[in-house]
Amino acid sequence: MEEEAEAEEQQRFSYQQRLKAAVHYTVGCLCEEVALDKEMQFSKQTIAAISELTFRQCENFAKDLEMFARHARRTTINTEDVKLLARRSNSLLKYITDKSEEIAQINVERKARKKKKSEDGNHNSRELAEAGVVESEK
Amino acid sequence: MEGVGAGAGFRKELVSRLLHAHFKDDKTKVSGDSLQLMAELLKIFVVEAAVRAVRQAQAEDAILVDVDQLEKVLPQLLLDF
Repeated sequence: MEEEAEAEEQQRFSYQQRLKAAVHYTVGCLCEEVALDKEMQFSKQTIAAISELTFRQCENFAKDLEMFARHARRTTINTEDVKLLARRSNSLLKYITDKSEEIAQINVERKARKKKKSEDGNHNSRELAEAGVVESEK
Repeated sequence: MEGVGAGAGFRKELVSRLLHAHFKDDKTKVSGDSLQLMAELLKIFVVEAAVRAVRQAQAEDAILVDVDQLEKVLPQLLLDF
């Protein structure tokens, strides 16, 4: 019994380690870009510290987002909840609000393109089918 | 924000896993748009931390950005987020 609990604990721990590693990789890439841009190097400890920080901040973000959605009587977190997260700094809030509109716009365009493609596809296959019928009657 | 454009970023799947790891309720879900927006937010968080630490290092005439500089910019960073 205890062995099972221990094994589960181990699994949870190694999952968390994998998540942290993935965060660390992305943080490393972003810091590399900043380093190139500002012509200033980061120590490995600094990158590790930012990575740890980001991972822990995610916990706060996740819990807040969940509570915001629940407060609005929803189970699905939406972009309004994310904007609430960004409320503490005016420039951050503006940036996030602008980004959210940009994302919405891109997704609207993507859906419109997909819809047009599938409509064209149906139109073409209908034409082909009719052409096929005419052919076989000959 | 500052020249870090379409380069590195957080993948939607990673963001989703990071958030779900800390939800209290199993039923909580995240919309696709929100995941994209959260990816942006996390990216800004990292970049802000990095850039502010660089500025601190430059102000101190340091040759590289070390944890000491990061520690100095941490309080304001956390207040802003």
